[in-house]
Amino acid sequence: MVRALDTKLLRDLWHMRGQALAIALVIGAATATFVMAMGVHHSLTQTRDAYYDRNGYADIFVTMVRAPRSVVEQLAAIDGVAQAEGRIEQFATLEMPGRIAPVRAVINSVGDGGASTLNRLVLLRGRGPVSDKAGEVVIDKAFADANAVHLGDRIDAIIYGSRTRLEVVGIGLAPDYIWSIAPGELVPDASRYGIFWMGEKALEAASNRQGAINAVALKMDRGAKEAEIIRHVDTLTSQYGGTGAIGRKDHLSNAFLQSELDQLEAMTRIIPPIFLLVSTFLVYVVLGRTIRTEREEIGLLKAFGHTSASVGWHYLKFALAIALLGIVLGSAAGWWMGRSMTGQYAEYYRFPFLYYQVSAPVFLAGAALAFGSAAIGAMGGVRKAVTLSPAVAMSPPPPPVYHAGWIERLGEKAGLSAVGNMIVRHIARWPGRSGVTVFGVALSLGLLFSVLQFIDSSRAMLDNYFFRAQRQDISVSFIEPRNEKVLSELASMPGVIRVEQARAVPVMLRSGPRSKRVAIEAASSDDRLTSRVDAQGFEVALPASGLMLSRALADHLGVSVGDRVEVELLGGRQTSTTMPIASTIDELIGTRAYAQSDVLSRLSRDGAPVGSANLLIDHARRDELIGRLADMPMVLGVTERDAAMGLFQRIIDENIMSMMGFYIAFASAIAIGVVYNSARILYSERAHELATLRVLGYHRNEVGIVLLGEVALLVVMAVPVGCVVGYWLARLMVAMFSSDLFRLPFAPERSSYGVATLVVLAATTATAVIVARRVNRLDMVRVLKAHD
Amino acid sequence: MQLRLFYACTMEKCADQQGTNGRAAAFVGRALRKTYVTGETQVHALRGVDLEIYAGEVLVLLGPSGSGKSTLLNIIGGLDRPTAGELWYGETELTALDDAALTRFRRANIGFVFQFYNLIPSLTAEENVRLVTDISDDPMHPADALDLVGLAERRTHFPAQLSGGEQQRVAVARAIAKRPGVLLCDEPTGALDSQTGIRVLETLAQANRELGTTLILITHNAGIAAMADRVFNFLDGQIASIAVNEKRISASEMAW
Ligand SMILES: Nc1ncnc2c1ncn2[C@@H]1O[C@H](COP(=O)(O)OP(=O)(O)OP(=O)(O)O)[C@@H](O)[C@H]1O
Ligand SMILES: [Mg+2]
Repeated sequence: MVRALDTKLLRDLWHMRGQALAIALVIGAATATFVMAMGVHHSLTQTRDAYYDRNGYADIFVTMVRAPRSVVEQLAAIDGVAQAEGRIEQFATLEMPGRIAPVRAVINSVGDGGASTLNRLVLLRGRGPVSDKAGEVVIDKAFADANAVHLGDRIDAIIYGSRTRLEVVGIGLAPDYIWSIAPGELVPDASRYGIFWMGEKALEAASNRQGAINAVALKMDRGAKEAEIIRHVDTLTSQYGGTGAIGRKDHLSNAFLQSELDQLEAMTRIIPPIFLLVSTFLVYVVLGRTIRTEREEIGLLKAFGHTSASVGWHYLKFALAIALLGIVLGSAAGWWMGRSMTGQYAEYYRFPFLYYQVSAPVFLAGAALAFGSAAIGAMGGVRKAVTLSPAVAMSPPPPPVYHAGWIERLGEKAGLSAVGNMIVRHIARWPGRSGVTVFGVALSLGLLFSVLQFIDSSRAMLDNYFFRAQRQDISVSFIEPRNEKVLSELASMPGVIRVEQARAVPVMLRSGPRSKRVAIEAASSDDRLTSRVDAQGFEVALPASGLMLSRALADHLGVSVGDRVEVELLGGRQTSTTMPIASTIDELIGTRAYAQSDVLSRLSRDGAPVGSANLLIDHARRDELIGRLADMPMVLGVTERDAAMGLFQRIIDENIMSMMGFYIAFASAIAIGVVYNSARILYSERAHELATLRVLGYHRNEVGIVLLGEVALLVVMAVPVGCVVGYWLARLMVAMFSSDLFRLPFAPERSSYGVATLVVLAATTATAVIVARRVNRLDMVRVLKAHD
Repeated sequence: MQLRLFYACTMEKCADQQGTNGRAAAFVGRALRKTYVTGETQVHALRGVDLEIYAGEVLVLLGPSGSGKSTLLNIIGGLDRPTAGELWYGETELTALDDAALTRFRRANIGFVFQFYNLIPSLTAEENVRLVTDISDDPMHPADALDLVGLAERRTHFPAQLSGGEQQRVAVARAIAKRPGVLLCDEPTGALDSQTGIRVLETLAQANRELGTTLILITHNAGIAAMADRVFNFLDGQIASIAVNEKRISASEMAW
């Protein structure tokens, strides 16, 4: 008995293979995005955790201007601190032959042979530096690859004002530099910023820090309170110019990786549910239709003694079988996509190993979601099959009843042809199914739009930051803060048209229990090269007094305009005062604070030093100027706006564009799945009418219009709905993808609506035309021999 | 072409012999065969049918079930093609037409009425008629066509709101609204009681009378044959005999 039913199941599936496949593709898209995002998320998390664990990634980090080594013991003695380790972090400028733009590195001190207890170096090639052997360094792999530096190569570096010849003895990685960016830069560039490790004694000598350190890393006891330890650390280090200790979540490398992981997680919460929702509706519609056409068979089955439960289970299995196909396809696609995505991460984040492994629970969860949504979609139809009494089932279904409702009159008023009326009334006759088609196509369009918006958003960010906020050609940062003399020095250099200073004072802002470590940036009203631009691209003027906080910072501190915050100076000036918040600015990047130059000078008393300078230059003399800047020992970095912009653009292109293909394919899968099913149902429902039209002398293409016309009308109705759905979906994604570090602006190009619409129209048209070709197969003779 | 001339001659000769007042032949068919192949078995639905059908006549096809009546009617109406043989409609060789041309032929010349009315359920009576008038060159007004079948009052009703007989009359109105040269009816009264059936037949006969439409009618009811000019008796895929009614009776005089 069961055997026969299963045979019927397989035969039905085969008979409806096109529709089943179309639904399976949508389910597959859900499973694929889920498996991909979760798989990559788990792989990255596990790789990160293992890496952190094996290599002693610290819990708390603090940097100071200069501290005696003895501070390490003091810090280790804090309650809850398990281990403490001090080191020197020294910036250097590298002289790479043939390179005009300056190349920089941060050199970290390590024990003999590269040993350390925390943030342990992973040597990939070569060996660690001998502690007191001058010039021996291990360099990070990304820098080595980007600059084709090999073991044994020599690099000339300017460390603390004097030229030192470095010898590359090893190539490695460390857990505190999974992601890194040169200070003052917006875009990471491994070819221009290296992470080096040098023997402790050698670096002490090179940086003139005998017996001194400027950074300490701490490992906490299990269960210790981070905030309390940080407070102790800050108290102990402030006398050495401590700039405030930070936990892992604020440590740049970890924070960036974390924001990536959060984005992946956000993706699993937005995209698979959309596909699942559509597949639920598709199963609902298709199974509903199947059960309507199989009324008599259901009645027969029951009359022959099949229980209602077994009949219901039969149709449920039909839905689950389709889901299974989707799960298999989607899991495979998701696994493969995840692998390629992980490959991209491996280039962007520096792990010594990156195991791509999708665990069984991920596959199981993906499968459960797919089965679940298919089962929900099947419920309506299954209930109908279960409750249908054999007697009722065996009589033919009541004919569809059409009334002269408002839609009918609408068609008459509009002077529609008889065929036009057929189309409009059929849509109105099946509002649920028509609604599913409209909604499905709209979601497809919306999804596509929201993905396109990402590119627009990144471009807008680029425009916002580089064209509006930063108009300098070059910014120069200094190894140590300078006094204002440096400005006139820069102004007299070749090709320099204008010089503006950029000063910042590191502080801890507190409001009640909340606090945030930031640098208050100074600006003066006659600055021409930089300005503060909000998310909408408008310039925001600095208040004459008080602070201007970025919205993200104000939200973090829970303060608003008019409130006062406690401002504690970091870095040796143990003073605390309160300042009013004069305004806030809705910025895209970071949590920042601003004040007028003179306000800041008064605050810091000793006069806020110049940390960097912005230059407007004569491009004809750019090479000469860059060369001169690179020779200045006090210059840490030289950032050219054009180059940074280009790099940023490239990252957008590489990362986002590579995902675009997937998303276009997936969004199209929805449109195709929805339209294919709706057109096929339409065709099977109307085959009799269409054949009648052919008999009456309608040409194939005219009959095709009845079929396509309805689909086209629904798709056209879906376009505005899709634009609205896309608008909100994009807003939602922008909100979910934003982190402390940056926020994506919602800035869609108008053309993105157009592109999304075109892609959806192309996918739906192609699908509908494939179905419409069935018109050629209409059998006019057969249709005349029977009712429906 | 020579063949065509030959047929024309025989047709005229037939016309004279059979006393149909020299009317021109609407259809000429020669050696029409239709063979259905399903797997191993072959069904010969038509086994070499020769025929002439005159313009403006009423022709009834009689014969046992499975004898090939519907098959022939469908071929005449351009819905199907013979496996072999030739069929001409006036100057046009139907058997040589492609699908699009055959559709144009149907559109221009043929009106169909079937046992199952084949109305579009989502369209009102009038709109069902408009389906045809929308694509015809010189149609009646749909309301006039409904008036002809006595359904002027019901024109805004949907098929589900009409009785079987009324639905069939809508189908008749739809068939005659374009003033077709030929009306093809396959058991138009098969699903109707006798009184309703007679009404439908009357309407068809009226179209034949007033519009000069050639009327070809399949029926199982020998009584209906009385309203025909000629009767083709089918047997086993062939026209076994042709009967000519010297005096046809009107539909209203019939009873079954
Ligand atoms: N599509 C088909 N495939 C196979 N055989 C067919 C097909 N259509 C018709 N036949 C066969 O061709 C023969 C003639 O059929 P046709 O429908 O012309 O008979 P008919 O005279 O109209 O019969 P009835 O009075 O029952 O309608 C029958 O034997 C029928 O089974
Ligand atoms: Mg028949």
